Amino acid sequence: MSKSRGFTLIEVLVALLVLTIVITTTIAMFVERHKRLKQANETILAYQALSNEAEIWRRIAFAQLDAQAPTFQSDTAILAPLAPYTSVVKVDTPRADVKSVTFSIRWSNAQRVAKLSIVRADTGGSGLW
Amino acid sequence: MVKRQRGYTLLEIVVTLAIFGVFLLILVVLTADMRANEKRYPINYMAHPEVSSVMARMRKDIFDTKYYPSAFQTYEQSPKTLVLYTLQQTGFGETVIWDFRKAGEVRRIAFNATQQSSDWVARGVPQFSIGSFTLGSGQDAVRIKATDEQGRLAIDEIFVPRPHD
Repeated sequence: MSKSRGFTLIEVLVALLVLTIVITTTIAMFVERHKRLKQANETILAYQALSNEAEIWRRIAFAQLDAQAPTFQSDTAILAPLAPYTSVVKVDTPRADVKSVTFSIRWSNAQRVAKLSIVRADTGGSGLW
Repeated sequence: MVKRQRGYTLLEIVVTLAIFGVFLLILVVLTADMRANEKRYPINYMAHPEVSSVMARMRKDIFDTKYYPSAFQTYEQSPKTLVLYTLQQTGFGETVIWDFRKAGEVRRIAFNATQQSSDWVARGVPQFSIGSFTLGSGQDAVRIKATDEQGRLAIDEIFVPRPHD
């Protein structure tokens, strides 16, 4: 006489639990990797724009820094994938002969920010910084 | 003895399919999201060692550039050829040609006076183009651009020569 029986409820539940943990972990890893790749791509684009802007502001005469509009002067076409974004330039004067220029880009509803600062010193118009 | 055999009930099959469907839906949503991002973002060339080498060497050459000759030997300034007169680490000048004419390849050729002193090639790189960018001060900078195969702007950098006093 052959005695055949199916799985018990406990066996099925344990198997399902193991399967769910494996699948959930795999999906979570996939999502996290995808998110980090996206953030890395965005950061690379943002820092190219910040670097370009720093190059421009580095060559503006010290005495004219405060008179500049607080916006990016370079072409920011590289930032198109980050749209909508905001870009701001802030000039601080920690000392009479020193200015700190900070460039910032905010995107993803301002949840992500990339910043770059340069320090300018008054060299008396020698053109060096 | 009568052996009783039975298959799965409709409810069991429906529940199994529903669970399978949920996982399938998650996978489809994730894949669609990934595809949308692939379309939105350009290729990250900066992670490519050959590309970052080109950018680093070019940045150094332009940073130390004294002027841009309009032509040198058979090379002329163009969106595919950049001619520079730059300083070497020894302090002596050299003429450097950045040649982007061949697709997928960048070539840097340096000349000491009229003698070729080095030749460096990077392969497997995107198609670069050279443009000029004039600062508010009137100084001429170099703008390097590269697009990926989908035509998306992937590299856009401005390099400005330092002052030579």
